[in-house]
Amino acid sequence: MGKLFDIQLVFEYFPKLLSRLHITLSIVFAATVLGVILGTVLALFRLAKTPILNQVAVVYISFMRGTPIIVQMFIVYYGLPLLLLMIHLDINHWDKLIFIIITYGLNMAAFMAEIIRASIIGVSIGQTEAAYSVGMSRLQAFRRIVAPQALLIALPSLGMNMMGLLQNTSIAFSLGIIDVIGKARVIGASTYHTLEGYVGAAVIFLALCILMEYGFTHIEKKLKYKMIGLI
Amino acid sequence: MNFDFHFMMIAMKEAIRYTPVTLLLAFVPFVLGILLGTLIALVRLFHVRILGRLMQVYIVITKGIPVILQILIIYFVMVQGFDTIADRFHWSLHSKDINVIYVALTALFTVAVANISETIRGALMAVNRGQYEAAYSVGMTHNQVLRRIILPQALPAALPMLCSNLIGIMKSTSLVFMISVVDLMNAALITATANYKYLEAYVAAAIVYWVLNGTIEKISLILEKRFSVYRKEGVF
Repeated sequence: MGKLFDIQLVFEYFPKLLSRLHITLSIVFAATVLGVILGTVLALFRLAKTPILNQVAVVYISFMRGTPIIVQMFIVYYGLPLLLLMIHLDINHWDKLIFIIITYGLNMAAFMAEIIRASIIGVSIGQTEAAYSVGMSRLQAFRRIVAPQALLIALPSLGMNMMGLLQNTSIAFSLGIIDVIGKARVIGASTYHTLEGYVGAAVIFLALCILMEYGFTHIEKKLKYKMIGLI
Repeated sequence: MNFDFHFMMIAMKEAIRYTPVTLLLAFVPFVLGILLGTLIALVRLFHVRILGRLMQVYIVITKGIPVILQILIIYFVMVQGFDTIADRFHWSLHSKDINVIYVALTALFTVAVANISETIRGALMAVNRGQYEAAYSVGMTHNQVLRRIILPQALPAALPMLCSNLIGIMKSTSLVFMISVVDLMNAALITATANYKYLEAYVAAAIVYWVLNGTIEKISLILEKRFSVYRKEGVF
């Protein structure tokens, strides 16, 4: 076994781990896009209090928030092909990455729905009333008045969620995806230096997280300045 | 291949049998996390010299690294580190004799402390600055200010977030099966190894987790309502 921890090896493994970073990032990106689209739909169901669909959204959000993502991942992985086979759609040959993206997208959607709902509610009703009073239609009032303000409210939570998503992608390896952590495990299995691989992966995640936090603070500041500047 | 409800019930029964393990893994780090987290939050709030900075670094690191990595790293460090020390001092005790659940508890604890201390710090900072100043101005000491004025206001405010922290820890406990702790999820999976009905096992585990977390959420709502009533009667 030799030494317990060899810092030299961390540096040696680092480029190998970085070479799989694009998998992690593409999961985060695709899942966020999917999550925002689906989340908006869910939030609208809830805001409009559409009968039945509202209840479905409530149950869906509660399930997604109340169960571990690893469980959701395997349910999607094993369950979705079964479900789609009922309508004669065979997806067993799909890439595992697609299942991962679907899972994280569905999970993100639940969190996004709550964020979007909260931030739209968070815009004072007086804003909407004022918009109506100057003769704007419902759509105009939403698009021009409510949505920009809601975006500003939602941005910090969106950033937090994206960071959470980034961390959640670390579980994707359990489905056999070779992302950063998957690579660390592969290295560990072949060289018996598992710890060094993990530490390298941890450093990558830590750096990404700090970078993301910095980025979101920057965007928020810029957006705030721009919007207040416009007014 | 069809969904086997009967097997799902078997898996769920097994999962429920091991639910206490999951609850233990969630509540022990949570309770200890509140104690230590409050201390860390206070250290950071009052800018205690070196310690405050140290805690900040600790929190950034723990929040930046995925839970699963922390669990795996702590597992390796504890197991291998222990063996190395045991070899050096010729102990008869080996890492194999130690229950992995302690490793899981340690890992979840380090994660929980960071999250909870951030929650409590947020709540402490949300208390109006004037409250601190007023308390100091009537001659209270640091201790009195905290005990009589700040904490009674901050803790109810922190309650919803604390509950969501607890739910987060509960969800993280599902990862300990990777270091072969038999918890709710692992129990459900073990029943499935014989016949490969993994979907049923996962659905069973999901339902149990859902019920657990749904209960916590309900309790959180009730408590929140209680405390907001108390608040309305106060100065606010």
